[in-house]
Amino acid sequence: MSQTTQHEFAPEEVMAYLDGELDSARAAALAGHLEHCDGCSAVAAEFRRLSGRLLDFQIDGGAKHLDERVLDELSGVAPATARKANAEKPRRWRLAFASPYTWALAGVLIVALVVRFGIPNLLLSHKPTSAATEPVNTFDIPYLAKMQSAPIAKATAGAGGGGGEEGAIEAPQPTGPMIAQTASLTIIANNYDEASGSLGRLAASEGGYVQKLDAQATPDTPRQISATVRVPAKQLAGFLAELHKLGRVQQESQANEEVTDQYVDLQARLKSARASEQRMLQLLATRTGKLEDVLDAERELARIRGEIESMEGQRNLFAHRVEYATVDVRLQEEYRAKLDSASPSARTRIWNAAVEGYGNFADGVMALLIFLLNYGMSIVFWCAIVMVPAGFVWRWWRSRA
Amino acid sequence: MRGNFFPAGDILRVKGRRHEAHGLAEMTTDDQLAIEFQQGSRDAFRELFERYREPIYGFFRRRLDNPARAEELAQECFLALLRNAKRYEPRAAFRSYLYGVALNMLSAERRKSGREVANDGQMPDPPVNENTDASVWVRQALERLETNDREILMLREYEQLSYAEIAGLLRLPVNTVRSRLFRARMALREQLAPVQGKD
Repeated sequence: MSQTTQHEFAPEEVMAYLDGELDSARAAALAGHLEHCDGCSAVAAEFRRLSGRLLDFQIDGGAKHLDERVLDELSGVAPATARKANAEKPRRWRLAFASPYTWALAGVLIVALVVRFGIPNLLLSHKPTSAATEPVNTFDIPYLAKMQSAPIAKATAGAGGGGGEEGAIEAPQPTGPMIAQTASLTIIANNYDEASGSLGRLAASEGGYVQKLDAQATPDTPRQISATVRVPAKQLAGFLAELHKLGRVQQESQANEEVTDQYVDLQARLKSARASEQRMLQLLATRTGKLEDVLDAERELARIRGEIESMEGQRNLFAHRVEYATVDVRLQEEYRAKLDSASPSARTRIWNAAVEGYGNFADGVMALLIFLLNYGMSIVFWCAIVMVPAGFVWRWWRSRA
Repeated sequence: MRGNFFPAGDILRVKGRRHEAHGLAEMTTDDQLAIEFQQGSRDAFRELFERYREPIYGFFRRRLDNPARAEELAQECFLALLRNAKRYEPRAAFRSYLYGVALNMLSAERRKSGREVANDGQMPDPPVNENTDASVWVRQALERLETNDREILMLREYEQLSYAEIAGLLRLPVNTVRSRLFRARMALREQLAPVQGKD
């Protein structure tokens, strides 16, 4: 096998030829070469001999029990038809998913479902109440909640646009801007007693009333009255002119607040709540269902009515603020200090000082006692913790000194 | 004893046998039998089992020192074939598939037992046929070969796999298989030379 350089075929090729691994042309050439080349024939013979030697490595005996378990297992395998079906099942699925027709069919189905169910639902959400008020089969509270939301949205939209078909419940729409007027005055009265008495009369003469009155009269200070007066908005100017006559005006201010938007919004919400109330009443009258559902509906109705009453109150408040102007009046006496001649005697002053000193002493003792009871134990505890090491340090320092 | 060398084209890539015992008169290839078995034919499996029971046992027996364990592994190999019939895909020759299963089991067994025969170069300790001196010499000569070269040589000589099949099993290029096989044969020839001279 060492004659490789002198031959056209390397020993490795000879080996591959003997193994049947050469291509046919090369194998044919080598076969012809072997017929007249002693060297290559010797190489081939050597390979054959080596292969023959390897076959000396024989195994002893054989597998004695190999058949038992394998054939037992085989007998437990499912029959041919069933196995065939099982074997083909995943393949069918694989083929089905791999097919473009399957995906196309799935796409068409999805589009059809969207067209059938998605778009009608989308349109339904924009339809007016006629679609939303279709009869229901059961008394379901979540469903009622859905039904309420539609009239609310509609009434809200209707309020901004001048009202819908259910808009004429009550509470007329404002024809112009709604202005809540307020004024504030501080007057130094020329004649305090007369002015304070005339405040209520002036308000009544203008068709108003005193909402709040607060009088102060403490020694050595000027007397004063603080009052909140409500007068009709149209009479505000006349009322203020009458107030000016009471004395010298020290401070005056006026303000106008427009509440049109708040009023309209409140009125729209009130309208929708009333519509919900009517719908609930209709449902309670016409539908039957479980007792629990009926009770839930009653509770829902009570909640809506509570909201309605609250909103009505707010609406009335707005209307009143607009109809009646609010005037805050502070009427003050023109004060003149008086000489106080009645000072106590020296004996009285000493006695008063002694009594006050005893009181201060007693208060101090009591405060100390309370402090010790509150914090005494804690102070002792922390002092012990801090002082013991401090004592050691002090002794150590003194011993060094 | 089966001859190992055949001229080009004569190598038995397709093994065939008359299925007279199971009523199958015509020659059937391994791959056809495997497909029939996958489709549920028990007779096809019996035929495959008959064809490969001794080669598979020999595969394990030559590589393991315990004959009982070799038999168990051969059994497991066929059982795996039986249980995983659905997963068999006829992309390569059935023989390659079967020896691939056997090779994987052998690797697992070596890992499990901690006796990496391939790594430490130790061949099965008890000779498989103590009565034959030639067998001892060959086994010892194989022991001295480099591990990968020895595996390639044994797959070629004893399992009669083609270069391409060996390359597929060991994930090597075909040319690498050929050169390593040549190297293994040269080394084995050197190992056996004194014996040959003695003979």
